Amino acid sequence: MGGKVSCTLGEVKNRADFILYWGGNPAECHPRHFTKYTIMQKGKFLPEGRKGRTMVLVDIRETMSVKAADIFLQVRPGKDFEVVTALRALVKGNRVDTALVEETGLKLEQLQDLVDRMKRCKFGVIFFGMGMSMTRGKHMNSAALLTLAAEMNAFTKFVAMPMRGHGNVAGADMVLRWTTGYPFGVNLCRGFPRFNPGEFSTVDLLVRGDIDAAFVLGADPGATMPQPGIDTLARVPTIVLDPKVTHTSKLARVHITTSVTGISSPGTAYRMDEVPLPLRPVLKSPYPSDEEVVRRIIAAVEKKTAWLPLPATMASGVM
Amino acid sequence: MLRITGGKVYDPANGINGEVRDICIADGKVVANVEGGRTIDANGMIVFPGGVDIHTHVAGAALNFARALTPENQRVAAKFMRTKDTRMGIGGQTPTTFATGYLYAGMGYTTVVEAAVPVLSAKHTHEELRDTPIVDKACCLLMGNNELVMDLLELGEYEKAKHTVAWLISAAKTYGIKAVNPGGVAAWKFGKDAKQIHSPIDGYNKVNPGTIIANLAKIVDELGLPHPMHLHCNNLGVPGNVSTTLETMKLLEGNRAHMAHLQFHAYGGDDWHTMRSESVQLAEYFNTHPNLTCDAGAVLFGNAVTITADGPWQHLLYQLTGRKWGNLDVENETGCGIVPYTYKGSNLVNAVQWAVGLELLLLINDPWRIFLTTDHPNGACFWRYPEIIHLLMHADIRRERVRALPEAALSRIYLADLDREYTLYEIAIITSAGPARALGMKQKGHLGVGADADIAIYNQNPDGELMFRYPRYVLKGGEVAVEEGEIRSTKDGHEFVCQPSYDEKIEDYLKPVFQQQYTMSFENYPVEAERVHGMQIAECSYKKPN
Repeated sequence: MGGKVSCTLGEVKNRADFILYWGGNPAECHPRHFTKYTIMQKGKFLPEGRKGRTMVLVDIRETMSVKAADIFLQVRPGKDFEVVTALRALVKGNRVDTALVEETGLKLEQLQDLVDRMKRCKFGVIFFGMGMSMTRGKHMNSAALLTLAAEMNAFTKFVAMPMRGHGNVAGADMVLRWTTGYPFGVNLCRGFPRFNPGEFSTVDLLVRGDIDAAFVLGADPGATMPQPGIDTLARVPTIVLDPKVTHTSKLARVHITTSVTGISSPGTAYRMDEVPLPLRPVLKSPYPSDEEVVRRIIAAVEKKTAWLPLPATMASGVM
Repeated sequence: MLRITGGKVYDPANGINGEVRDICIADGKVVANVEGGRTIDANGMIVFPGGVDIHTHVAGAALNFARALTPENQRVAAKFMRTKDTRMGIGGQTPTTFATGYLYAGMGYTTVVEAAVPVLSAKHTHEELRDTPIVDKACCLLMGNNELVMDLLELGEYEKAKHTVAWLISAAKTYGIKAVNPGGVAAWKFGKDAKQIHSPIDGYNKVNPGTIIANLAKIVDELGLPHPMHLHCNNLGVPGNVSTTLETMKLLEGNRAHMAHLQFHAYGGDDWHTMRSESVQLAEYFNTHPNLTCDAGAVLFGNAVTITADGPWQHLLYQLTGRKWGNLDVENETGCGIVPYTYKGSNLVNAVQWAVGLELLLLINDPWRIFLTTDHPNGACFWRYPEIIHLLMHADIRRERVRALPEAALSRIYLADLDREYTLYEIAIITSAGPARALGMKQKGHLGVGADADIAIYNQNPDGELMFRYPRYVLKGGEVAVEEGEIRSTKDGHEFVCQPSYDEKIEDYLKPVFQQQYTMSFENYPVEAERVHGMQIAECSYKKPN
């Protein structure tokens, strides 16, 4: 079984002499990533910086990130899981069928060369993006890649990390974990947390039309969800908190303009390695912060009588 | 104002052993007398100072990682329904923060110490502690593998290292420090470990685990921190590790130290097939060295989640069990590993571990120096402490349990030969008075005038497990927090921190090194005071006796 074998970005900066990107395009999607944390940095144990590191990119097409890579491996779309599985077999010294590998668009020699490099390095890291985790195979792909990184530790130091983005998604994940025990896809309808991705994830609830109101904070599902999900958002009362007009705010019943966290209001954001960073406002905004609006909504809801008849000891509780 | 009357009071710090007497409370403190107010009739009950957990893992990046890694545990764990006064949550091996507060208070515990906090994610730990209601809190900063400190020790710059440690404690807003597998976690950053106390750590010429241990213990004492260095020795869990533990203890002569979860460090044998208990040998040394305190880190059979900063050990455990493995190396500071684990009564190694925890609690003869813990959630969950108390109080029940162990285990343990049975007075010491004293928390762990009115009242019952699992009342800061298993008040507790003094010039040294080795700006590194909810600064007034 896998798990997740990871580190904070400073470890990559200080130690990683082998950096593999899979299904991601940091040059365009995480523009400060190369220069701040990974290939371009000089590290405590990598005084030469870029020269001391090998960068491999695995993707289905040539992106802007190819220029930065020492080795580019172009995989046929939808074949990531097969490539990872072949790599796991090669790492363990098992025989791999040449024909099967060739279906992925790569050659066995290329994979063997990759495995040799992985085993030779002192500290290897795999970053994976949505081109790996959200394409055919989905979480199975991520699980296989995380397991590959875990198993590599029998030979040398190896870690893996998802290339997360979308504002403070890591922070939302962290808070949900300590309050509900689960990272996402949490249902509180029974008065306690339940978790079932595929059933309770936002996309599933929206597509099935299982909700009768939506409260959207720090996200723009109207731009990214499948059409049936967007239709649900337009049908039900949707409330959006956002500093700007978004696809979602346009179809919402209510849009409350808030100040930009990190520019006009303080807060905490989590990096993709789950390290918290304080945000300090540099400008004043006439708009309230997200936190202030949410607090005022909670206070207003608390004044309402309970919608369900509760036992006397429970009265009108708000989480 | 409140008066507790008619109960048998166990207040070991003040030498009170089961006397029937009144406890009076005003403004959250124990006072000599009160007029009026509520009276709790505690006839037929016993009155204890609120429990103090000196070593647990209830908040922070590592625990939150474990929660995400084990949804299958949460699925079957106890659920906490949202009510007017309480928030929803989940119990189990890695309870949610609100549930953690309710579970501890519900068991009569009112102060908990989160034992492992990196500076880099200390902000996160404090946020979680803020969401942990009722109980008072403190935390220990991970220091045994801090490369800023190790690099200074390599250069022989002891004074600078001392100021760096003080600066880091102040920056992270923690109460003390903890060293975990000193040097081993730093070596793990390149896939190595540190198994020999006196061999240089990978990447260093002079610094070895022993250097780190001896220097940190000295630094803590010189800074006057109320709690000694909290130490998780090298070679945790490994057969034959008792020699490492004894060697480590010898290095500590002349300084204070708290040996964390000693059970995991008390094994003999050469491999998993020959592993045996060395509790007798360890207790013998420990009994004659009053500079040391320890907590048991006892194991109970059942499901656990192992969470530790000891990265290399967790990799081994992953290879042994083939179960999930979480690892998070924290730049320049520490690491963290997570592996779900099941202790089985039929497994020889687990049987030895179970026995060793109890043996140490019985063989270390001064209850003021060994405290009840399970290294939650490593050995067992904290909410299972009453099961251990019951075993400590009854030798016959222990012998019955020993008979159920595999035949091969019997010759490797001492438990069946031990007749000692804990008294209620001694239970009050190992669960409250002792840990409070070892933490240097003068207002905790006793019921004398001026103490915080944190009190647990139990229905007296020959079944220790039943008695200690369901207190009749729990008072926190003088308010009834729990009554017959129901949460009555969820007022937030305090968080205790230390701010040892340091030479401010140390920042001029740290800043450039930091900017080279870290990935955030120096100004963003320290925890802002506003982030620590109910912060109370404890004095650094410990003085080494001459």
